[in-house]
Amino acid sequence: MKDKIINYIKSEISNDPLQDIGPEDDLLGSGIIDSLGMMKLVLFIEKECHMKINNEDMTVENFMTVQNILNFLGKDQG
Amino acid sequence: MDKMKTGLTASQLSLWAGHKMHPGVPLLNTAYTFELSGKLHISHFRKAFQKLIDATDAFRMLYFEEDGIPYQTLGKLENFEMEVIDFSAESDQTGIINYLRKRSQQRIEIEKRIFDTALLRVSEEHYIWFLNMHHLVTDVVSFKIIFARMGGYYRDFENNTAFESLDVPSYLDYIRATLAEQEDQKEEANSYWRDKIDNLSQTPALYGTKTGADTTASTRVSVPLGPDRSTKLRAIANIPEVRSWTEHLSLFNILISLLHVYLYRVSGQKELAVGAPSHNRTTRKFQEVVGYLIEIFPLAIRIKEGDTFFSVLQRIKLEANDYIRYAQQAGITPEISGSFNVVLNYIPTGFSDFSGIETKVRWIHPDHMDSSHQLRCHVVDFDAKGEIVLLFDLNHASFNKTLRKRAPQHFLQLMDAMLDDMHKEIDRPSLIGEEERKALLVNPAPKFTTESVLRGFEEIVTFHGPSVALRSGDRTMDYETLNKKANQLANYMQDSGVRSGEKLGLYFFRGENYVVSVLASLKLGATFVPIPSDLPITRMDYILKNSDCSLLLTESALKAKTSDLDILTVDVDTLKEDIAKAPVTYQEWEEDRDSIAYTLYTSGSTGMPKGVMIPMGALNNYLSWARNYYANGEAFNFPFFTSIGFDLTITSLFLPLITGGELVIYRESGHGPDLSLMQVLDDNKVNAIKLTPSHLSFIGSRDLSSSKIRTVIVGGEDFKTGTAGSIFASLGGKAVIYNEYGPTEATVGCVVCAYDKSRHNGTSVPIGKPIDNMKVYVLDAYKNLVPVQVTGELYLSGPGLSAGYANMEQLTKEKFVDNPFLPGTKMYYTGDLVRWNGEGDLEYLGRIDEQVKLSGFRIELADIEANLSNHPDIDTAAVVVMKEKQIIPESEIINCSECGLPSNYPNADFDEGGICHLCNAFKGYKEKTDKYFKTEEQLRKLLTSKKGVNESYDCLSLLSGGKDSTYILAKLVNMGLRVLAFTLDNGYISDQAKTNINKIVKKLGVDHMYGETPHMNKIFVDSLHRHQNVCNGCFKTIYTLSTKVALDKNIPFVVTGLSRGQFFETRLTEELFWDETISNAGIDRTILEARKLYHQEEDAVKQLLDVSMFHDESTFTKVQFVDFYRYSDVSLGEMLHFLKENVDWVRPTDTGRSTNCLINQLGIYVHKKEKGYSNYSFPYSWDVRLGHKTREETLEEINEYIDETEVKRIMKEIGYEEMDRQGEGRKRLVGYYTGKVRLSSMDLNRYLSEKIPQFMIPSVFKHLEELPLTGNGKVNKAVLRSLNEVQLEMDTPFVAPGNEIEELLEGIWKEVMGLSKIGVYDNFIALGGHSLAAIRVTTRINDELGMNFPLNKIFELPTISDYAKFIEETLEALMQ
Repeated sequence: MKDKIINYIKSEISNDPLQDIGPEDDLLGSGIIDSLGMMKLVLFIEKECHMKINNEDMTVENFMTVQNILNFLGKDQG
Repeated sequence: MDKMKTGLTASQLSLWAGHKMHPGVPLLNTAYTFELSGKLHISHFRKAFQKLIDATDAFRMLYFEEDGIPYQTLGKLENFEMEVIDFSAESDQTGIINYLRKRSQQRIEIEKRIFDTALLRVSEEHYIWFLNMHHLVTDVVSFKIIFARMGGYYRDFENNTAFESLDVPSYLDYIRATLAEQEDQKEEANSYWRDKIDNLSQTPALYGTKTGADTTASTRVSVPLGPDRSTKLRAIANIPEVRSWTEHLSLFNILISLLHVYLYRVSGQKELAVGAPSHNRTTRKFQEVVGYLIEIFPLAIRIKEGDTFFSVLQRIKLEANDYIRYAQQAGITPEISGSFNVVLNYIPTGFSDFSGIETKVRWIHPDHMDSSHQLRCHVVDFDAKGEIVLLFDLNHASFNKTLRKRAPQHFLQLMDAMLDDMHKEIDRPSLIGEEERKALLVNPAPKFTTESVLRGFEEIVTFHGPSVALRSGDRTMDYETLNKKANQLANYMQDSGVRSGEKLGLYFFRGENYVVSVLASLKLGATFVPIPSDLPITRMDYILKNSDCSLLLTESALKAKTSDLDILTVDVDTLKEDIAKAPVTYQEWEEDRDSIAYTLYTSGSTGMPKGVMIPMGALNNYLSWARNYYANGEAFNFPFFTSIGFDLTITSLFLPLITGGELVIYRESGHGPDLSLMQVLDDNKVNAIKLTPSHLSFIGSRDLSSSKIRTVIVGGEDFKTGTAGSIFASLGGKAVIYNEYGPTEATVGCVVCAYDKSRHNGTSVPIGKPIDNMKVYVLDAYKNLVPVQVTGELYLSGPGLSAGYANMEQLTKEKFVDNPFLPGTKMYYTGDLVRWNGEGDLEYLGRIDEQVKLSGFRIELADIEANLSNHPDIDTAAVVVMKEKQIIPESEIINCSECGLPSNYPNADFDEGGICHLCNAFKGYKEKTDKYFKTEEQLRKLLTSKKGVNESYDCLSLLSGGKDSTYILAKLVNMGLRVLAFTLDNGYISDQAKTNINKIVKKLGVDHMYGETPHMNKIFVDSLHRHQNVCNGCFKTIYTLSTKVALDKNIPFVVTGLSRGQFFETRLTEELFWDETISNAGIDRTILEARKLYHQEEDAVKQLLDVSMFHDESTFTKVQFVDFYRYSDVSLGEMLHFLKENVDWVRPTDTGRSTNCLINQLGIYVHKKEKGYSNYSFPYSWDVRLGHKTREETLEEINEYIDETEVKRIMKEIGYEEMDRQGEGRKRLVGYYTGKVRLSSMDLNRYLSEKIPQFMIPSVFKHLEELPLTGNGKVNKAVLRSLNEVQLEMDTPFVAPGNEIEELLEGIWKEVMGLSKIGVYDNFIALGGHSLAAIRVTTRINDELGMNFPLNKIFELPTISDYAKFIEETLEALMQ
């Protein structure tokens, strides 16, 4: 899942396709992704994981880094 | 020219529409200036620009139209020479600013070049690059891209380095991708937006302005927030509970929340939506596209009670996530774009420098904006300094000059309140700043000093002693006598021990005694308490005690009613001689302005009335002003015809006596309705009158052209401009009409407006401006002044204020509060909602509580409820005011542009093209109805199919003598058929029509007979009550009598002359054509079934005529009804031609109309009066729809002149009593109660009439099992108000549907019957269900459930409950 997310960000969303993105990189604060881009990622994840992410869960804490996203998804599935 | 053309995207199309709709207006110019502070190489700049347009296709887009469809294509733009203008000689910036402003407003010719640009040289080191592009090819982000790209190319030329790649993403590619996306159905997003928009109410009226005008003119106001506010906003954006994914999103959420709050505060609307552009640059491919990529989607929330800035923000935060999720590329539709009129444009873009040169960026507003947007708020920080600037684009349609200055301030007030305390309630902060507050509090200085009313009166006595003061029928009393009598009574009472300050009950009919007593009381310095003659004794007893009356003055005619009262009573008639012995002059007196002149009792919410104490000074202030303002030196003759317990009467009583005119007295009758007003008008003795709007609508359309009335003062209720207009016209435009507003607590009237026909064209006449010495304040719930045009609660202050309620200190404290604007004074809280309109007048907008006005009387519903609940058999009670159906004035009715159906036909719904729902629906099933109609040949076959059954006749033909039935007869004869012609003589066939009939049958050589019945008039009356027309009764009589004749004579067919339009009125319904597979035979079966039911309906025909044959099923096979026009498609022209050639038919002239029936117009008159439209509107609309009449012909016939005198004469003749209805939706009280037993209305009426005045007694009472409640446990009065007349009269308690099937049935019933609420025990027939409605309901049920229930089931099981049970049982049986 991690690679899927990173690849999706790199290929579809981030401003700079060559930029390397690590699991702990701040996606939101550093401007790699803006909120519309993040929603695109949410839609991608929803499709991949066959789930729906609630509005209440769309927080900085859950989406700041790829790792945060993975943690959130893990929690949700657990 | 060979063009590669591409269509426009949905969002481009909406821009295009705006561009086309406003030719010559630079609506869609997006002009920017980039101010470059540094040295610039112009040649490099020019080269860089050429490079820019070569690389960026948006600059080369061109637009054109083919067959009305817009396209875009790519043009060529080589060797573009950038214009350079030298402004270095200018001493200041004004010239440049003006130049740029003018240049930015030049409309871009999108067929030729999509942009305009120039470089302005201000000085050696100061340039301004001007770039104006049409919105079709750009948006804000695009400008950032352009600017950065331009800077890059310039730098490359400067450094002579390799150029940046020219391979930049193309706008055209984006457009093509979007067009492809549009084809894709994004079901989830689409349905999200559909639902969202369905749930939105209309767009808010900002500052109460309902915009209809298509205005593009607008002004941009720039509001820099400054470092302090910007920092605070960012701080809030980073609070964990506020923070969203990014700071931009958090700031966006905060600002759009504020905008919602602002909209709520300036419109009062709670259901709100604000549009926000979505940049649509989510895929990398399109991130760097220059073009118009944004699409605007709404964010909507509902403001809740007790909301704080924080709670609104929390909801916005969640809503914003949905917004981002569903705001997808190519998603907008015209419906989405039309769902908001306010836009928040949050622009996260900051501009970089220009190849190292410092730059200042400005966006020049073209002074125009999309006419559907009233307000746009752009949030920008172009120079990326961290200081937010708000740009407000304000549409002139909603924002006048003053508002344009103040509105941004109102927004800032809210923002500051939020920055101060996020948890503050959004209702609390004041909208206005100090400057506006000062402007609002400016009140004119007192114009003149008040005079004593008694001095005024005595002056008149001195100068006009012998003039008539009082007139009552033939009797008159002059001023001198009146004054003497008042003095004698005052002296008499003083001798009897009455002192100043004492309270005197005055219990009189309207008459001299009352006037004399009032004057005597004033002279004594006592307080008079008027008690109207019809007040229940218990209430009177309460008033006398509550007001501390020491004495009750009355007269012989009323004395008997006072015997049970525990108070000293003086009958001035009996003591006449004693009083007459008292001295005729009264001692010199000193007037005490603070002494109470009178105490007037009005309805209170506790079940008992409250006494409003009016000081002498207050009375003087009102009357001095009124004499000056209304009379201005003239002597007023007023009628004294309204209740003495009504403060409106104070005007009528005193104004004549202080202007030297006559008070013309109209004594009330002891019982029944007060008809004095009619008497006043008939007598024509007055030149001025004070009355209520209800009174005016009683007058109706009466001709008052010879009336002497020149001054009409209207008070007591909301005064509609319609009513004002018609009284103004009735009086021949010669009278001045005043709308006077004022609660009893502020002495009769304290705000006034002279009606101006040309200016006052809203729904109501404004209440105007405060009278001399009075002050008004429009405040919000926290007693902040509200801005001009915003609705608020009205507070009154000044010398006209009452001294409070008698012996109700608590209530007095609540209503008369400290006036914060004039410390040391009080202001009265009216509970009325008002606003200052743009013209400086106050407008009345309703009540904040449950107080209602009926015929000018103030009523607290709680007062009635409390009294009703006290009944020993009643547990709980609720009273509501119901408005009877509003009759729309004819001038406001529009007719369908295709068929002429009037807009007041029940449930009529018109599309944008003015076409009605029936026409539109018909287009969907017209083809199917075509099959229903047949040919004349088929008719001949049918009618000859039973030849020989009868020796003499093949058929019976119904002949009214009109053109249609005459034509039929002639055609039947032509077909070689032997016909018996039958005419119903209903007693109102015109003589000429009869002559016609006789001539026709003779000429055609057919036998003819008249049918008649002695019960015809009763049938007419029944039909008028049942159907509000005469035709239904007449038709049924014809069918009944002709069936009998045919049966007796063994004639197999009866041929009717119904028009095709009438088929749809009486036989056919849309539902019949729903079933794809249905055959004519199927439809005929249903119609026959309906006809059987029709003859079973309980009406006068069934009761009075012999209908025994209809009990026998075989009658319907023995005598078959044939509609001639089902087989003939003849046009009116052809028909008239045929008639002229063959029959010598002439149109009767003695009915004065196109009909040959004299009573016909009575039916139309009643129908129009009761329902607002002619009973012919519907069938004629079908005639047009089916091509048998033109729209013009039907409108002409429908609007034919009606002779009202003749109508009234016939009404009397047939014994029809006209219902007493007023023009504008009369209001009435309905009382609901719960309790073990149902009580009779008569008992309840009797019970209440001992407690409360007659005008407060509900006209209908309804027993409920329980009162319906709202979510928060209050009685749900909306439900109670939605029951209709018949439902109220039914004996069954109202019960809402309880299961799915009942809900399904309720839905179908409601739609077919046009009702808003139906209980499951309500009876179909009682609700007005007839056979046609049965077809509609049954077909729909069958359609929904896939069943085949027969029509008559609904008459067997006429309640939703019973029918639902039957359906359930049937379905269960099927499943087993």
